[in-house]
Parts: sequence; structure tokens; C-alpha cells
Amino acid sequence: MSEPAAPTAIELSELAQRTLRDLLRAWFAFERRLARVPIVQRLHAGTFTRDDYLRLLLNLRQQVIEGSRWISRGASSFDRHHSDIRSIVIGHAQAEHRDYEVLEQDYIDAGGDAEQIRNRPRNPGSEALHGYLMYRAGEPNPCGLLGAMWIIEGLGEKMANDWARRIEEIKDLGAARTRFMRYHGANDGSHMNKLYALLQRVCTSDSIAADILTVATVVGRLYALQLEEIDNDWNAHPAA
Amino acid sequence: MSVYVTSTGAFLPGPPINNDEIEDVLGLVEGRKSRLKSRILKANGIQTRHFAIDREHRTVHSNAAMGIAAAKACLAASALPEKAVGMLSCATTQGDLVIPGFGSMVQSGLDMPEVELHTSHGICSSAAMAVKAAFNTLRVADQRSALVVASEFSSRLFKHTRYEAAGGHAEFLRWMLSDGAGAWLLEAAPRGRCLRIDWIRSFSHADSFPVCMSIGAPTDKQDTRTWQDFPTYAEAEAAGALLIRQDVRLLENVVKLGVDGALRLIEEGLLDVSKLDHLLCHYSSHHFRSRIYDLLAKSGAAVPYKKWYTNLYTRGNTGCAAMMIMLDEFLRDGRAKPGDAVMCMVPESGRFNVAYMHMTMVEADG
Repeated sequence: MSEPAAPTAIELSELAQRTLRDLLRAWFAFERRLARVPIVQRLHAGTFTRDDYLRLLLNLRQQVIEGSRWISRGASSFDRHHSDIRSIVIGHAQAEHRDYEVLEQDYIDAGGDAEQIRNRPRNPGSEALHGYLMYRAGEPNPCGLLGAMWIIEGLGEKMANDWARRIEEIKDLGAARTRFMRYHGANDGSHMNKLYALLQRVCTSDSIAADILTVATVVGRLYALQLEEIDNDWNAHPAA
Repeated sequence: MSVYVTSTGAFLPGPPINNDEIEDVLGLVEGRKSRLKSRILKANGIQTRHFAIDREHRTVHSNAAMGIAAAKACLAASALPEKAVGMLSCATTQGDLVIPGFGSMVQSGLDMPEVELHTSHGICSSAAMAVKAAFNTLRVADQRSALVVASEFSSRLFKHTRYEAAGGHAEFLRWMLSDGAGAWLLEAAPRGRCLRIDWIRSFSHADSFPVCMSIGAPTDKQDTRTWQDFPTYAEAEAAGALLIRQDVRLLENVVKLGVDGALRLIEEGLLDVSKLDHLLCHYSSHHFRSRIYDLLAKSGAAVPYKKWYTNLYTRGNTGCAAMMIMLDEFLRDGRAKPGDAVMCMVPESGRFNVAYMHMTMVEADG
């Protein structure tokens, strides 16, 4: 696996700059939508319970375990003219493909049942998100997937820097831990430089830039749907 | 129809109060020095501010009196007679009286018969809304001139007796907010060296976020009553429902939403950051010195720090009056020259509203 060296000062083209601005706005819009999702509202209001935490992990697990599948499929869809991007995406899939094990252990520590989380079907939001990402990843040279990475990695950081802290303050958390959420907080400056380099590499036409934004917007919408669905089948699926 | 800010004025009550003197004026809560004070002051960077109460907690200037003083200062610097002002547009977080509107009380101290009156309600961004109401009234040619007055008297909320009566310590804002007033005169024709208002826009996000800064809710978060739902106001006060409070954890959203609005204005083609000469921000710039700034810089949307101007550190954070007072001092210092583009940005944390005003300095002919 060879990754391009992370340059310290990457100058972005005008198109890459505009795309970065659009991605920032897509992220802020996603955050506002997240803030309207009931389980996130409970987290912000301080009424979030251990039961909420279990349900959150239960509903995240299927998407996390499928995550490495769309990334791997995406890697295989880059042709020889995009082999540098393919290398980066393969590295990404390798880094994340066992994340779900940490999530499962957090669920069990919080009092959840191992069999239950392993057999849990995808909720309607996870189903839509997974289906969309697999479809996008199968297209030739799927540069738009950068939009998906932007949203999902941004959320990883939000979980690590905001959600985990709030969850750790819950009084009845017992032995529960937040290692899965904390895991993604360690992103640093070199991580941002990699993002800038990728953006600069990929933003070669208006249609690719538009594609990146479309994928970011749709992934944000479907991710929020996945979290909204947690409240919709509250009674059908006990958390633990 | 173009609209111009042709004069400005400000009023800051009493002498500047430094950080060591704050508790001499506001008092020690339950006789003890605050543990939070130095940390909060370090974070907000404020070194001096003004209070309209004295050390015995007597009101020296009412809120309306401060607004009137700023209005008089603004008009004294203009050739337009007081009687000729067509509209009075006012803003405050809380007037001396709960009703009538603050504008009525300000007009009572001015020689402005039959004026068209407007009072906007809110917190920091209410002055921007008052400016916009005046701007639009002039744009549709209903009036030729409008005086905008914004005034704040928050120190009355910070007397130690308030906290003692509520048995709680929501004291964050005690070290943030202070008193003062500012006024701008808007006219439909330029006068001397003045600022043309290019546009005013704002974006509110109360649909997405909970309340961040408020007065009226009790300390107990499970209690859904607001101050007037209690049998007596004494009971509301005891429950903490008359304290001013801030949910500090939600504050970072103000920065994000401030950036989001600016990006939206860039996308709409209204804002060209590369052509901006001065950014007056009612928010300490160091709050923006984070990763978000790097992202903005990388995307070509950052305003270099040398173009930022603020007087929050010496005049204090005077809520909705701050932007008015800031522009007054900025112009008096002669920092802008004809052709310069000036943007004022007012992020309000109350329930998240961010306002932007874009102006260009012009020189009237003759």
C-alpha cells in the first residue's frame, strides 16, 4: 500500500476551493438535520439514557460493518488512470474494516446481548444508505464517494468530540464505554492535508464536483434517516 | 433607492470598569469571590466595560436614557435636525418597562414628533433587525431618514442579590455582558463621507437548535413552566426563572452557523471575501481561530485577521448595542477610506440567528 506523501501546503484550484465551500455547507446542513433527529435531541437535552445508547449502537452496527464493503467496491471501480486514488481508498478500507468489533464490545459492556446485535437486520435508513453507497461505488471511477467520506468522517469526529463526552456523563451508564465513538477523534493536521490533496486530485471537472456534493447531500440525508428510524421501531425491537 | 449611514453616536455609562473592579460593582454572590470569573474573562478577552448601576446598585442611567444619549450624540454629529427624522427604529434585549415597546420610551426623550416607530425584539441580532426595518422603509421611499437606536442594560441582571434569590449560579454571562448604547442615522441620500448599505441578510436556525441563551426558564430542566406560569413572580425568581443563562456547550454552533451564512452569501454572489476591507464582528475573533478557519482559508473564503476590527475588549460586550458602538468607534478612528467594503457580522446565540450587513464607504459630491 503506497500513499502519496502529505504535502504541508496544498494549493487548491478554484474548482476544488468551491467544492470545499460547498462541502462545508453540506456538512452544516447535515448537522442541523441531525440536531432535529429525536435521539440526538435527547442527547443534547440531557435526557439520553443507557437504553438510548444501546439502541444507537444497535442501529449503527449494520452500517459500520457494511462500510468497508462499499469502500472496497469503490476501490475496485477506479481504473488504471486513477490508480493513485485506488491506493488511497484501499488503505481506507483496510483501516476501518474491523471497527464494528469495537462497537460490538461497547454494546456488550453497556449491557447489550451479543447475539442480538449480530443478528440485527438493517433498519430502513441503513438499508437505503447501504444500497445507495453500493450503487455509487459500482460506477466507473466513483470520485463522488469523496462526498460520502466527508460526511461519514465528519460524523466520526463529531461522535468523538461531542457525543462520547455527553454519553459518558449519563448516570446509569454502568460499565458502558464509548471506545467506538472515541476512536475517530484522533484525526490531525496530516489527515486534513490528505483530504485537501484528494480534493485537489479529484476535482477535475464541474460534473465531478457536482457529483461529490450530490453524494455528500444524499449520504447526509440517509444517515439522518437511519438515526430517525431508531425511534420508529422502538417497541418491535427491545434494545437488550 | 440607496440608503446611507450618515452619522453614528454612542453612549457608555460611567467610567471604564476593569476586571478587578467588576465584583466591586456587581457584588460578591453569597460573599464569595467567583471561581469561574478569571477563566471566563481570559476566554473572552474583555479588559474593561461600563455599568449603568453604581456600587450601591442604584440605576444611574435607565436603558431608555442611554438610548436617548446615544441618539443625541448621533444627531449632534449630523446636519439633519432632530425634528426632521422620519423613523425611529429601536432595539434592546429588555427595556426598563416590559411594555410598551422600547422605541416609545426612547422617543419620549427626543424631539421627534409623529415619527414612524419600530421596536425589534431579540438579543444581539435585534439591532440588525432594527437597521433592516429602517433600511427597507427608506428603500421603499416611505421615509427619507431613520434613526436606529440600540441599547442594553444587562448589569441589573447581574446584581449578587439576583443569584442569591435564585439559589443558583448561572454566572457565565455575568463576566460577559455590560451596558451601553449606540445609534446610527440612515438617510436616503449620501452626506459627506458615509457608508452606503449594500445589503443586510440574516439566517435563523431556531428550527434546528435548542435555546442557548435565555431568561424565563427555571433552573430545573424538567420543569417546562416559564416565568409567567408561576403563581407569583417571587416563586418564579426562587426557581431561577428570572436568571439570564447560557448553555455554554451549544456555543460552538454560533461559530459554525456564522461560517455557514457567509458561505451561503458567497454562493449567492452577494459576498466577495477577496474584496472585503474590514470585518466588524460581534464575536471575539479568537473563537474563529480553529480548524474551521483553516478550512475556510483553504477554500478561499477566510478574511485575514488583519482585516478584523473589534472594540469588545475595551467597551465590553453590550449585546445588541455592540455593533452600533463598534461602527461608531471604527469610523471615528478613521479606519475606512472611500471605496472600502465593510461587513458587520452579528452572531446571536439566543436560539441561533446570524446577521450580516455589507456597506461601502462613499464620498458625497460637493
